Amino acid sequence: MNWDIANKNFYRQGLRAFLNVLVTALSIIALIFMLSLLNGFQAQATRNLVTTDVGGGHYRVPGFDILTPTEWEDFTMTVPQVLGNLPATDKAEVLVQQGQLYPNRRLFPVQLRGIEMGQSLLALPLAGLKSYDVKPGDMIPAVVGVKMAHKAHLKKGDTVVLKWRDKGGAVDARDILIVDVGDIINPRVDDGVIWLRLDHLRSMTDREREVSWVAVREFLGTVPGFEFHGIDLLMSDLLALLRQDRINSKILWGILMVLVCTSVFNTQILNIFKRQKEIGTLMALGMEPGRLVKIFTLEGVLAALWALVLAGVLGVPFFIWFQGVGFDVSHLSEASFPIRETIYPDYQPREILISVSIVLVLMVAAAWVPVKKIIRLDPTLALRGRAIT
Amino acid sequence: MHFMRNKIASALVCLFIFVTPCYAEEIDAQKLLEQVDDNLWANTKFITGRLIIDNGRKVRTLVQDSWMEGVDRSYSHYKAPSREKGTKMLKIAGKLWMYTPRTDRKILIAGHLLRQSMMGSDLSYEDMMEDHKLSHSYSATFESFEEFAGIGCAILHLVARDKETTYQTRKVWVSPKNQTVLKEERFAKSGKLLKRIVFKDYEKIGSRLFPRTMVFRDMLKENTKTTYKFDVIEFDVEIPQKYFSQGILKR
Repeated sequence: MNWDIANKNFYRQGLRAFLNVLVTALSIIALIFMLSLLNGFQAQATRNLVTTDVGGGHYRVPGFDILTPTEWEDFTMTVPQVLGNLPATDKAEVLVQQGQLYPNRRLFPVQLRGIEMGQSLLALPLAGLKSYDVKPGDMIPAVVGVKMAHKAHLKKGDTVVLKWRDKGGAVDARDILIVDVGDIINPRVDDGVIWLRLDHLRSMTDREREVSWVAVREFLGTVPGFEFHGIDLLMSDLLALLRQDRINSKILWGILMVLVCTSVFNTQILNIFKRQKEIGTLMALGMEPGRLVKIFTLEGVLAALWALVLAGVLGVPFFIWFQGVGFDVSHLSEASFPIRETIYPDYQPREILISVSIVLVLMVAAAWVPVKKIIRLDPTLALRGRAIT
Repeated sequence: MHFMRNKIASALVCLFIFVTPCYAEEIDAQKLLEQVDDNLWANTKFITGRLIIDNGRKVRTLVQDSWMEGVDRSYSHYKAPSREKGTKMLKIAGKLWMYTPRTDRKILIAGHLLRQSMMGSDLSYEDMMEDHKLSHSYSATFESFEEFAGIGCAILHLVARDKETTYQTRKVWVSPKNQTVLKEERFAKSGKLLKRIVFKDYEKIGSRLFPRTMVFRDMLKENTKTTYKFDVIEFDVEIPQKYFSQGILKR
């Protein structure tokens, strides 16, 4: 009975009801889109970092900090047996040192990163280095990423002077040959990085069997002399950024919800103002105020439900279309985000359900707050249209 | 006649085979290097100099006063240009402190920071601080004779005694007559030429011959050079002890 009356009243509102439903539906779509895009961004950035750099975590030399290049040379250690014995699919030994490149006889500080050639834990375009001997010859083969090649004006086949220090501090320099310009999807291991064979870098710097870290597939327990850095720690800057982004998106969503709730609130206020004679009549005929509140609140619930339906009708095709085209974020790689390609939203059913439920609850609340005053209305004043002024 | 020609030819061959090595053996490379060090080295030194940095696009001139004591201690005070005026550098053993009046702070330039270019010049802080005796750090061997800037020079090949010496090999062009260095080349471990230094305008100062100008070139860079001109040089001067204390690093 309540439902039927509410239903009739809702449809009678016409355009006003439709606009409410439309605004709410668009808010729901925007909310889901925003959250899913952030999920997609995070998932893609994590995947890129994991496959190109992080793996399942690093066993690092204590004190090593990738953001302090002047100290890289001080933090190298011999690979412990427990890590050295792991199969090539489960670990990648990495040695990082400082170097100076002289493209076109201009100084360009670089990170020299040596990685095992046999490893298959990380996906890096370093096939060009595999055919070389274990001992470096007069010309040291190297691979650079597209971004690095662009910045240093390098191309495949170029030779350029590289200067570095060995373990004792003696300076050394030799020509390096750019054997390949690789498409590296993570700008953090592209920009300013010269990729070398690990055996070559060790030989160049007199650091036999030494590493800066060993990337592993999974945590293997405590390894004496090394400290484990998990994915979360290695990605902490990115995760902090995403956390901030989520906070920002929540603020945006909050503003959107305030607008939606204000719209519903206004509609309800207008409803009871315009329909106070109807309310007075129903009260005079014996309808309890509580039931009237229920009927008016149900109208708000109906608006929320229709908004949900409309969000489905408009949103699902949009989401399907967007999943196909994606969102081009190539500009982000300039800011060293580990994302260089198009990102696609990652829809999480649980997250969508929770978000939609919050929208519905807020809508119902926004519909109920203005109508609860019906309980206190004087039917005689309401009949004359003077209960609410 | 034929016999005579053969005799002359044999004599010439003998001259080349025996005489040249005899002359070479006259050069005791290590001793010559020690003599070079003795000529340049003094217990204390005071220098007013100009560091002219030409990076290929712009030329900057830094004016500095420096006081040096032994191999371990030196103090420099920059007087120009206005941007660097008041900058002070204090070297004590392997450490270098730098004070800039703009920030009113002293910073320790140690370890790897010493390898960075000093104020955009062709010298690193390490190069600038380097004040060790070559004869102590390197073993010298005579390589050949060569004329450089119109002066007959013995080229000495220097090999570092220690694996930790920055430049493992050097070549110096030394005038055996004056025991002065006219040119020096510093090499990477691989043998690649990294730095070339030309010593010019030698002048007698007291009992020593000292170059008034040193031109440094980073051979891996293009069109850059740093010229160090010494306007005033005084040897064995008395230096107040406060110059070698960190207390001097303030406005």
